[in-house]
Amino acid sequence: MSETDLKNEINAAAVEPLLPIEKKLIGWSLGLGIGLLIILIGINHFFPIKL
Amino acid sequence: MSDLAVKVSEPIALKARLNEDWLAVVIGLAVFGLALVSISGTDLLGWAVTTSVYTDLAQALNPFAKAYGWLGGGGALVATYAALLVVLSLGVSTLGADVRKFAIAFTAVFAIAYASWILGSYAYIAAVTPAEQQKFGLAWSLKLTNEGGFIVALLSGLVIANFFPRLADWLKEAIRPELYIKIAIVILGATVAVTAAGRLNLASSLLLRGAAAIVEAYLIYWAVIYYISRKWFGFSREWSVPLASGISICGVAAAIATGGAIRARPAVPILVSSLVVVFAVVEVLILPFLAQTFLWQEPLVAGAWIGLAIKTDGAAVAGGGITESLIMAKAAAEGIKYQPGWILATTTTVKIFIDIFIGVWAFILGYIWTNHIDKGPDKAKPAEIWQRFPKFILGFLFVFAVSLWLAVGSTPEIAKALPAAAGEANIFRVIFFILTFFSIGVLSDFRKLWQQGFGKLAAVYFVSLFGFVIWVGLLISWLFFSGFKPPLAS
Repeated sequence: MSETDLKNEINAAAVEPLLPIEKKLIGWSLGLGIGLLIILIGINHFFPIKL
Repeated sequence: MSDLAVKVSEPIALKARLNEDWLAVVIGLAVFGLALVSISGTDLLGWAVTTSVYTDLAQALNPFAKAYGWLGGGGALVATYAALLVVLSLGVSTLGADVRKFAIAFTAVFAIAYASWILGSYAYIAAVTPAEQQKFGLAWSLKLTNEGGFIVALLSGLVIANFFPRLADWLKEAIRPELYIKIAIVILGATVAVTAAGRLNLASSLLLRGAAAIVEAYLIYWAVIYYISRKWFGFSREWSVPLASGISICGVAAAIATGGAIRARPAVPILVSSLVVVFAVVEVLILPFLAQTFLWQEPLVAGAWIGLAIKTDGAAVAGGGITESLIMAKAAAEGIKYQPGWILATTTTVKIFIDIFIGVWAFILGYIWTNHIDKGPDKAKPAEIWQRFPKFILGFLFVFAVSLWLAVGSTPEIAKALPAAAGEANIFRVIFFILTFFSIGVLSDFRKLWQQGFGKLAAVYFVSLFGFVIWVGLLISWLFFSGFKPPLAS
């Protein structure tokens, strides 16, 4: 496959709608990420960096 | 990664990539082991060349150890080149490279890269403090520190890539930024351990905060970029996965690992990787200077930010090195002298924490894709987690653990001699950084960004990187590191 083929492919590719499993992946990742970040911020607050 | 030099029509050689990781471990451990011998009083690496800030070129180069002073600067440079040539030629022969081509190309790469480094140490470029300017009799200087040589090496590579493409092509056998940076990171384990040994509490606090980097890169950045790529730019799943991984996790390695996991065609993640490298260069040229200007009073925030914002190990860790030099220089000018090593250690910790989970994330995506999206007989297996694990991290952890034990768990005599041994190994870490910077430059053909078709890929990258990756990275670095400074130098 040449680079030209790939370039044409990028420009001409039909749009693939988001599947429910992709939406779940994005939603769970973001939800879990924000939740864990809040927990880590809490840990950071109660156990600050020790010098 | 050297894979970038591979034409897009060639398949990704997973085996070769793993070998490159192990090769980095072997070479890094060899340097570390030889440096450790100096603790016993036998100096095996003291001939390695070092460069000082200079106005008289004849004074610029010296062997690391006085015992090898008879070599002179030129002799030390030749000895260093010859040793690297032999070791790396043997190494790349195990990867199936053409050793003769490599040796010729490496000679040119070393010559140009080290000349760039020497140029970067010219006092008009490197001198930082008024005392240094006075010492060299200068009315002005660019104050880039002698690590400004990294920037000079990068610019040399960029000039070759964009104005002398035939020369870039001729050099490609020795243009292996991922190999060079992986060796450097393994060696870096010793310096990080020596730095951490002095302040174990602070070091353990840094480790805890590395977890925030994992959450940010994998769960927040990835999801948002994948959504943008699919929904706003209409990219297919096959393109969106490597793109999201390349921008959010760790450039080249993550794009290739996750691309392989979802069974994308090999050319797709490799093409994405070339864009990652180009953007990483832009970041390395901008972010350390922004950090020096706006974050010099928050050095650890700056170190974490560089690790979170710059993708690809080479650019991030090397960018952390430049940031440390620039911030320490600015702080020194204000009368604050920080202990060296902490900013770079923060960048490295963040980057390594992110790297560790590439295999796990690739497996999760592979599982979802092969079981729910592209169902077929080729299912993702847990063994892929290990296959895709970046092995050079094991080398870093081993060197770190041994050095830390020698620093805090062995005899006082050994602990006292360790910093000098780590310093000797660090000479090679710096040289591999120089080779990395130059190689990244040579791989960064900016014309790709203008080529019709790739503009859309670059647009996703641009929107994601400058739209939120940099800013969210800054926010999270601030939340976790603000208010905490590196220890002051005694």
